Amino acid sequence: MRYRLLVLLWLITDLLLFVGSYALAYFLRVGFILSSDFPFHQFFYAACVTAPVWLVVLATTRTFALTRSQATVRNGAYIGYTALVGVALFTLVYYFRFETFFSRMLLGMAFVLSASVVWLWHIAYAAMMRRLLRRDPPAFPTLIVGVTRESKRLIEKLNAGKHPLKPVAVLDGRGTSETEIDGVPVRGKLNKLEDILEQEHITHLIQCSDLEQSLNLLSACRQRGCTYLLLPSVLGIVERDERVDTLEGQPVTIVSPKEGWWTWFFR
Amino acid sequence: MKTFILAGGFATRLWPLTEKRAKPLLPLTGKPLLSHLVEKVPADSPITVSTNAAFAAGFTEWKKQQKRQDISILIEDTAHDDHKLGALGAVAAWLKQEGSDEDILLLTGDNYCGFAINDFLHRYHSGTALLAAHDIGDTKAAGAFGTVILGSDGKTLEAFEEKPQHPRTSLVSTGVSVLPAQVLPLLMDFAKGQPDNVGGIFEELLRKGQKVECFVFRESWFDVGSFEAYMEATKALVGEQLLKEDSATLEKSTCTGSVVLGKNTCITDSKLHNVVVFDDCMIEDCILRDCILDEHCTLRGIDLTGKMLRAGTTLTS
Repeated sequence: MRYRLLVLLWLITDLLLFVGSYALAYFLRVGFILSSDFPFHQFFYAACVTAPVWLVVLATTRTFALTRSQATVRNGAYIGYTALVGVALFTLVYYFRFETFFSRMLLGMAFVLSASVVWLWHIAYAAMMRRLLRRDPPAFPTLIVGVTRESKRLIEKLNAGKHPLKPVAVLDGRGTSETEIDGVPVRGKLNKLEDILEQEHITHLIQCSDLEQSLNLLSACRQRGCTYLLLPSVLGIVERDERVDTLEGQPVTIVSPKEGWWTWFFR
Repeated sequence: MKTFILAGGFATRLWPLTEKRAKPLLPLTGKPLLSHLVEKVPADSPITVSTNAAFAAGFTEWKKQQKRQDISILIEDTAHDDHKLGALGAVAAWLKQEGSDEDILLLTGDNYCGFAINDFLHRYHSGTALLAAHDIGDTKAAGAFGTVILGSDGKTLEAFEEKPQHPRTSLVSTGVSVLPAQVLPLLMDFAKGQPDNVGGIFEELLRKGQKVECFVFRESWFDVGSFEAYMEATKALVGEQLLKEDSATLEKSTCTGSVVLGKNTCITDSKLHNVVVFDDCMIEDCILRDCILDEHCTLRGIDLTGKMLRAGTTLTS
C-alpha cells in the first residue's frame, strides 16, 4: 500500500512537472507576459493534453520499476527519449488543434527542461522513496538464498544504496558458519524456508547459489506470491554480458561474445 | 528389552522432501522408512520413537496407521535444528524420565537394514553391548560414518572411530545396537558432554574397558541421507520394475529402471526412468529421469533430470 501510494504520487508529480517545464519554457522564450500573438492558454492546453500520453510512454520504459536505479545514464537516456516523444506529441497536438506553427527554439527549450527537470526529480524522489520503503516494517522484506561472495556484495550494495528490497534474512543450502552478513542474519539451511517466508512476510527472494533448488524456490515463491530473482552467476554467467530476449516468442537468456560497441546494432 | 528409535533429525540434505516430513517418514518403496524398521522389531519390545516438535503431527498420524499398539511417540520440545537436544541427549532424557533398568535396542530411524533384527538379537550376550556393522566396500566413503575396527576374533570391537578423516576400514556402524542396562548410567554421563555424538558412546565404552561386540551382516543397508542415497536405495530395493499403488494410473507412458508411483498419481503420455512419484501427482507429456516428486505436484510438457520437487509444485509449459 505504501509503495502504491508513493508511485501514484510520483506519477501525479511527473505530470505536473511536465506541464510546469513546458510553461517555464514558454515564459523563458516569450517573456514573463501573457502574449496575445501566441496565447498562453492554447500552449498550456496542448501541454495538458500531451502530458498523460507522455506519461504512458515514460511508464513503458519501466522507469518506475522497483528495480530501476534513477541515477544511471541508461535511465537518463530513457527519460530523454521520452521527452523527445513528448515534444513531438506536443507539436502534433498544437498543430492539429490550432493549425499554427511557433518558435522552434521553444520546443528545444521544452525538451531540455522537461528531460532535465523530470530526471532530477526522479533521482530525488527515488532517494526519498527508498528511505520510506525501508522503514520498519520494510515494504519489501527480501530473502537471500546462498552465502557466496557475490551474495555478500549484493547485500552490501542493497544496504548501501538503501534499495527498497531490504534483505532481512539469509539461508544457505549447505549451511555456513557465518551468522550475519552486513547486519543481515544468516538463519540456517533451506529447511527453514517456509518459516522465514511466513515470519518475515517475504515479498522477494533472490537466489544466489544452490542451482539444483531453483525449481523448489520458484515453487515456494509461486505458492506464496513472492517475486523470484536469480543472479546470473548461479547459471555460471559471471561476466555481466547476459540479456533476456526471445526466440520466436520463447524467452531465452543470451550471452554474446565480446565485440566492439558498434556491433550492438547487429546482435 | 525396550526399543528406542531416534527420529529427531531435520534432514536438511533431503530438502525439500523433508520440508514438512521427518526423514524416517519418507516413503521408500511405498511405505515410510520407519515402518520398514518397526516391522522388524520383536513384538515383545515396546517401541519409543523420539522426534521433535516440528514433525510431531506426522509421527502421530503415522502411529495411528500402525498395527502395533506398543508404540509411543516422544516429542522433543524443539522446532529447529539449532535448538535440539542431540540424539544421545534425547536418549539420556528419555532414560531419565523412564527410570528404566532394562536393556535398550537403539535404532536410527532413517536407516534401512536388510537383515532381521531377531538374528541380530540372537547374537546379543547379556551385559555386553552389541552393534551391527556393514562393509560398504569403500574405505574412503567410510569416513562419512562411524567405522568399526574388529579384534582378531572377528567379533569384538577393538576401536570405534566416528567419521574419521583417514578411515582404516570400510566396515561401518549402521545405527542398530543394544546397550545393556548396566552401561546406561555411563551413557547418561557421556551425553551431558557430547549430546549429539551417538557413535561416541562406543568409543566411551571401550575407553572405560567395557566389551563391545559386533554383528557383521551382508544384507543391504542404506543410510538414506541424501538424494543420491535415496535413489540408490530405491533402485536396489525396487529393481528394474514399476511399483505402483492400485489407485495410480498410467496411460500411454513408458517406465524404465526403478519407478515408484504413489496413491492417486496419474501419468499420461510420459517417459519415466528411475523416478519416485509420491501421492496425488499429475504428470502429462513429460520426460523425467532420476527425479523424486513430492505430493500434489502437477507437471505438463516438462523434461527434468536429477531433481527433487517440493510438494505442490506446478510446472506447466
